[in-house]
Amino acid sequence: MLTINNLHARVEEKTILKGLNLEIKPGEVHAIMGPNGAGKSTMGFVLSGRDGYEVEQGGATLDGNDLLDMEPEDRARAGLFLAFQYPVEIPGVSNLEFMKAAVDASLESRGEEPMSSAAFLKKAKEACAQVNLPLAFLKRGVNEGFSGGEKKRNEIMQMILMEPKLAILDESDSGLDIDALKVVADGVNSQRSADRSFIVVTHYQRLLDYIKPDFVHVLSDGKIVKSGDASLAKELEAEGYAWLEGYDIEENSEASA
Amino acid sequence: MSMWLEKALNRANQVQDWLSPVRMQALETLKQEKWPTRKTEAWKYTPVKPLERAEFNHTAQANVVDVESIQGLDSIDLVFVDGCLTTPIHSLALPEGLTIDSFESASTDVQTWVSEVFGQIKPKRHLFGLVNDVLATQGVIIDVNAGQKIDKPIRLIHLQNEGNEAHTRVLVRLGSEAQASVIEQFTGDQNSFSTNVAEFSIGESASLEHYRFCLQTNEAMSVGGSHFKLHEKSQLNSQLVGYGSKLARVDVDVEYAGENAFSKLNAIYLLKDKEIFDLHSTIEHAVPHCVTDETVRGIVGDHAKATFNGRIHIHRDAQKTLAELSNKNLLLARTAQINTKPELEIYADDVRCAHGATVAELDKSALYYMMSRGISKADALIMLNFGFINALVDEMPNEAVAEWLRPILRQRFKAMGSE
Repeated sequence: MLTINNLHARVEEKTILKGLNLEIKPGEVHAIMGPNGAGKSTMGFVLSGRDGYEVEQGGATLDGNDLLDMEPEDRARAGLFLAFQYPVEIPGVSNLEFMKAAVDASLESRGEEPMSSAAFLKKAKEACAQVNLPLAFLKRGVNEGFSGGEKKRNEIMQMILMEPKLAILDESDSGLDIDALKVVADGVNSQRSADRSFIVVTHYQRLLDYIKPDFVHVLSDGKIVKSGDASLAKELEAEGYAWLEGYDIEENSEASA
Repeated sequence: MSMWLEKALNRANQVQDWLSPVRMQALETLKQEKWPTRKTEAWKYTPVKPLERAEFNHTAQANVVDVESIQGLDSIDLVFVDGCLTTPIHSLALPEGLTIDSFESASTDVQTWVSEVFGQIKPKRHLFGLVNDVLATQGVIIDVNAGQKIDKPIRLIHLQNEGNEAHTRVLVRLGSEAQASVIEQFTGDQNSFSTNVAEFSIGESASLEHYRFCLQTNEAMSVGGSHFKLHEKSQLNSQLVGYGSKLARVDVDVEYAGENAFSKLNAIYLLKDKEIFDLHSTIEHAVPHCVTDETVRGIVGDHAKATFNGRIHIHRDAQKTLAELSNKNLLLARTAQINTKPELEIYADDVRCAHGATVAELDKSALYYMMSRGISKADALIMLNFGFINALVDEMPNEAVAEWLRPILRQRFKAMGSE
């Protein structure tokens, strides 16, 4: 489904990704862990096409299509979804209007009819209930005045409505209490299927107790330095990152400072 | 002196009614006023040239027109067509504690208090305000008794047809602890001219919800304003929406006459083609402990020109004043123009004030966020730009009014050129 091949990317003058390789097959859940500054968020931004992130080398394909050659909206329509670590507030644009425009854009790109307002509202209400947000949140401005946890749940609601092929969850667990964490994890688990894949970016093993990954990777200084199964996350939790081969303590302490 | 004003003065001499004594004083002041030119500060960006030689019909015979109601809003509607009140005042079913009169139906008691208030709340030396003083023979007087909460909004609808000139007046008095909601709505797009002055006296601990929808556009010229006097502990929530036209000027003024009063003032303007829109606002903090929260946002497209002049004047005794004034603008075309001048004049030393004016920049992170959800850049821009003003519509306290307004504004926004 997703193939990342020797990806190098920089922001302004600083190279962040330095030869990232990753292969994700349909239905798989991959967790990516690693210290601050390793390039975890950069990976999501580069794949989704954020301005200012320049690819120097390598590539990424989604279902064989060159992802990096597409406009951000086309990547989303092709089935890529990024749950933001810091979702953006958009006052004056209602959550419902925003999500309908998003879903309709994807439908239209596939030559399908947009959903009727009533049908979409019904779906949106279900998704809203599923992530345990009051229905009033559909009418409110996108993320406007939402708490940190509410924003994260709103991201999951969008994911549920957009039915992506590949979802990247960028620290969807940060700042959540245990109840909110379960809501987010339940939302993700409800969407797991044989043809949908996930990249779960996290600092903590805690989330992986609820979303069981097939693979765990450690990203350090722009590339994957170790891969394993779910037990790797437990080791990392116990030992930290310093024992990993190829992990430069000095550089990484600088990056996280 | 313009030909139009000369004729207006001649007509003013013929007006004979129970307001004549106050009108005579206004006429004397008006005769001293100069016709605005580009050198007149208050009219610097808004030329009154289109009116200078204009001639209109003053004796229009108004026909009763059916006015669309606002869905979900159970309002008391009064309709003016070309300045004539067409709603039979005695046919209105009014809740207890509310009296509505026309100038003609006013009893001597009503005449007495109105004569005392008339022209006392609006600014003294506004040329077209004075024109309205002397020529507005039609109007409504709304009186809410002390302690009465009027649930039904009172909606005043002004329709303006081609070739006609109209001058209407509104006086509203809320007794202490009274509550009411007044919607002023203006439409028309044909060559015409109208002035409308509304004066509101908000009694102690009373609360007024107010809307002024200045939707005259195209060839329909209009000058008018809503002017408020707030007594102790009273509250005002005023929401204004303006379109532009050949000549469109609105004044919103607040005077605090008692302590611990509060006003929230929001205004939106949406301009296209070669429209002109000019919003002037003066807030007089004459007493301590009052709060003003004024937010003005506009989108200007094509060759349109917006002017905002917002002045907050904090007098020497007005300690502990809290005042905020913000004006943000979005220009859709390089040929669009905004002249913004927020002014804080502070003579007290213990106050908290902020003001700012910006030409809004596109929020790039919001744009990327929307595109990352599959929304095209063009669609995202439309949503973001409309959201910029819709954020203020969201703040309107009456949901039915906001729901009614949104598609109307969306429609207009779609018609606005971005170059």
